[in-house]
Amino acid sequence: MPTAIAGKKKTVRINGCVASAQAAKYADVDVIAAYPIRPYTATMMALAQMVANGELDAEYIVADSEHSQLSISHGASSCGARVFTGSSGVGVQFAYELYSPISGSRMPVQMMIADRTLDPPGDFGSEHTDALSTRDMGWLMGWACDAQEAFDNHLIAYRIGEDPRVLLPQMVCQDGFFVSHITSDVELPDPGQVKEFLPPYKHPYPLDPRRPVSHGPQIMPEQGPPLQLERARAMEECTPVIEQAHEEFAQIFGRRYDPWVEEYMTDGADVVFFLQGGHAVTARFAIQHLREKGIKVGMVRLRTIRPYPTDRVNEVLSKFKVVGVIETNMALGSVSSGGALYAEVCGALYESPHRPLVMSFMAGMGGEAIVLKEFYWMTQKMIDAQKRGKIEKRTHWVGFED
Amino acid sequence: MSYTELTVWTRGIIMDKEGRDIVNSISASARLEGKYAQAMENYVDNPDRTNAPTRKYCRVSDTVLENELTYENEHPNIVVLVEGTMVKGWDYMRGMPPGGTLVINTHYSPEYMIRFVPGAERLSQLVCIDAARLAHHKWLYYRLGELGLDRLSTEGAAERSKLMAPDIAAPLIAAIVKTTGIVKMQTIQPMIVNKNAFEMALEELRIMPLNPVAV
Repeated sequence: MPTAIAGKKKTVRINGCVASAQAAKYADVDVIAAYPIRPYTATMMALAQMVANGELDAEYIVADSEHSQLSISHGASSCGARVFTGSSGVGVQFAYELYSPISGSRMPVQMMIADRTLDPPGDFGSEHTDALSTRDMGWLMGWACDAQEAFDNHLIAYRIGEDPRVLLPQMVCQDGFFVSHITSDVELPDPGQVKEFLPPYKHPYPLDPRRPVSHGPQIMPEQGPPLQLERARAMEECTPVIEQAHEEFAQIFGRRYDPWVEEYMTDGADVVFFLQGGHAVTARFAIQHLREKGIKVGMVRLRTIRPYPTDRVNEVLSKFKVVGVIETNMALGSVSSGGALYAEVCGALYESPHRPLVMSFMAGMGGEAIVLKEFYWMTQKMIDAQKRGKIEKRTHWVGFED
Repeated sequence: MSYTELTVWTRGIIMDKEGRDIVNSISASARLEGKYAQAMENYVDNPDRTNAPTRKYCRVSDTVLENELTYENEHPNIVVLVEGTMVKGWDYMRGMPPGGTLVINTHYSPEYMIRFVPGAERLSQLVCIDAARLAHHKWLYYRLGELGLDRLSTEGAAERSKLMAPDIAAPLIAAIVKTTGIVKMQTIQPMIVNKNAFEMALEELRIMPLNPVAV
């Protein structure tokens, strides 16, 4: 039964967690699978209240672990339900077994992730390692930088994932605290707009005793390659669907997002930050101050990391002399001995005739706020590299070097 | 150009809502007055800490808040103790610049309470208000069982009660606004549910003037 949301478009002051809960309500989800872990917990608290108050007609299932959450989501989606779930930090890891089966059986489950550092030790702060470690499991994935974008991303992700040309699950990510717990003005749409943008979900082959089908049976090895190829193709070929969804979102709701990257003050820039998530808010202030001093710095914010916009990253970053990748995640022993973003940036730039220097910064680790003076420090490192014509080292740990 | 930080110290779970109501109402009023303002809870304090000290923050500025992602108020100009016994035991005054205000919910006088305040030389005034009495006699004792079970509101996203300042937050807000002028009285007063306690507090609060800031 569709949930009736009264009223027209309105602006409310909410944080990222509540924005996600509101998005699930506006998307009129059928099944919610919950299990608490900070910082995403507040999303499920808000949804529990909406269901209890009769604002949302959905099956709210409290699981006994994240593994069960994703199992419930898999089953519910197989039956044709629009599913919403979520987690943070080690909770994301505990459900790991389910990520490949869900994308492999092409179930467009949506998972909200509010990032949290992985243990040890226990730390509520935001690092993107939790979600990024699952990035090759066949889920669409991208980060919001504020509560409004988080709200919008949920609706856009359902629209893309449920498209019959795609049918892939989605991780809709936001930084713990920096987005999840910081309040800002969020415009909640007219329900009619949502209806226009996001039609009811209809899986082509739902589990139904009247029309028996098998989902995820055991197969012979020779049957594997075509199925894997199909999944790879779905990820590869969803690019036009993603672009179309963002275009229609802009037409209906009046907010336009570049699906792949946000460029901020990149005109005439020599050096740019490359990052994803909430730290972009402070980066913008830092760049404004630096530009006032005549320093040619800008920012490129990655909005979608799966599918990776290789050509777009190549095209955009080839304009600059130095790219400083702000990691906010750990990829121990990786190419740069730093984070996971660096290698993909370098990979995307490999075919460019104008390759910029690429360096990476381990900043915001443990969920520390990246403050203005740290952005100034990183800018200076990039300018030094530009003058020198080569990078001093691939990875700088911000706050641990002069 | 003015920038003000307000830090509220309260007791986890049972008095979290009072702390939230203070920062949320002041922040909302400041925005209505055209200022930039932000209210939030201390991220690490939040979960499941019944009775433990927890912090709520508010920032009000004439210019855009460039530090809105910073976890804590590093230099609070105004500090509020929602529960009187919190006056002893730790340095809630840390980082306060000279000319600050401390507001305490207590039935004791400022002259009595000042002896427990660490770094009191930074204060321009100490304000005491018997908020618990004004809001409801034995307010906390009657409702402790119910308040102690309020796990739904621990992250501040879902409030069990959406009423703004129905209890001891009302007189505390009155004391803060009257003695600091952080927002205008006429902006905030209509938001407050417990109007009686709010108005009585305006009459009954006790101010101890201390070190004025040299201009």
